[in-house]
Amino acid sequence: MMSKAIEKYLNQLRQELLGCDAATVQDALSDAEIHLSSALENARAVQPETAEALLLQAIIDKYGSPDEVASAYREIEARVTPTLARPTYSDPKPFSARFLEVTYDPRAWGSMLYLLLSMATGMIYFTWAITGFYLSVGLAVLIIGIPFFGFFLLSVRGIALVEGRIVEALLGVRMPRRPIFDNRNLGLWERFKVLIRERTTWTSLVYMLLMMPLGIIYFTILIVGAALALSGIARPILQYVFDRPFAEIQGLNFYISDGFMPLVVIAGFVILILMMHLAKLLGRLHGSMAKSMLVRKHSI
Amino acid sequence: MGNLEAIVRKFQKELNAGTSALVLLAVLSRAEEPMYGYQIARLIEAGRDDVPVKQGALYPVLRSLEAGGLLESRVEPSISGPPRRYYRITETGRSTLARWQEIWNQTRSFVDDALKGGHDV
Repeated sequence: MMSKAIEKYLNQLRQELLGCDAATVQDALSDAEIHLSSALENARAVQPETAEALLLQAIIDKYGSPDEVASAYREIEARVTPTLARPTYSDPKPFSARFLEVTYDPRAWGSMLYLLLSMATGMIYFTWAITGFYLSVGLAVLIIGIPFFGFFLLSVRGIALVEGRIVEALLGVRMPRRPIFDNRNLGLWERFKVLIRERTTWTSLVYMLLMMPLGIIYFTILIVGAALALSGIARPILQYVFDRPFAEIQGLNFYISDGFMPLVVIAGFVILILMMHLAKLLGRLHGSMAKSMLVRKHSI
Repeated sequence: MGNLEAIVRKFQKELNAGTSALVLLAVLSRAEEPMYGYQIARLIEAGRDDVPVKQGALYPVLRSLEAGGLLESRVEPSISGPPRRYYRITETGRSTLARWQEIWNQTRSFVDDALKGGHDV
């Protein structure tokens, strides 16, 4: 749960860290965000009556002001040998190693799972978006029209949060969890207006619609890739064990010659690994799209 | 006396540079399970209100200890908020801690003697 005051602190910290290594800035911001929000949640549970600003002031007092914290990160950055600290910066591994690395990269496997699932989730999102939208239009003349529309918009934001969890778990893209309403004391009508006003509501709705075609495309790419790869890898078994021809054209059976067989199998593996790279890339692209459409940005 | 205050703070900061790494290693060596930053910070200040180091300054130390191979970490999603980074001490970390503890004991008695004075040789 991210409060505006925490967001403000993070912005100040970002200012103080200007000129630092991008990874250091990211570390510092994520450490602070997690710490402050955990501490605030904790303090809220212990002292529910005290104003949030007061609680946060005490928490920040203990955590350190933005400039104090920034200087702590700066010192560590200066002390730690860069080569030791950030092995990912320049990758000295040969091309072949980087090409094969994807096979044990959890992000590639997560992306493949996501792409596979996306057709099902895409259909659910699409159906819900269309049904909800037309029901809202249809009910608009009735007294329950507006409450239903409000409920529908709220459900869109709820689905955006759930999809955010899936994206974060499978694609490894951080999707900050922000409450739908900053102010908890809003009345129903005020909440309705907030939902209507916020860009995220509408981009989330578009995202739900987009997920249908995207899901089909992702699924197809994955299945075609996997089928191509497997048909190459499994060729020797199909041909020598089950006597299945490679192709059958006008009653003629075509087989792969023995000399070519290793090449076909190798090609199958190469396609498989290429597909994993593609899945990882698609996952990354989709993740950044999801982040820009589903996560609310704070207006400060 | 803003100047004196600044000098005092600088001294504290320089001391912290070494001691917070020692404290973090000690805490994590006693932990039965991997811990995340906020947990560690709370454990360190449990029952005392004179902790000389800001919580925010612990995190970069945790990260640098990890970069040096003394700690290892993994990120796990949490039910209530953003994913947390859980730290655990490595074997190298344990043996380093033992050496650091020796050095700390030596340094402490050396400094104490110097401060008390009258320890004529």
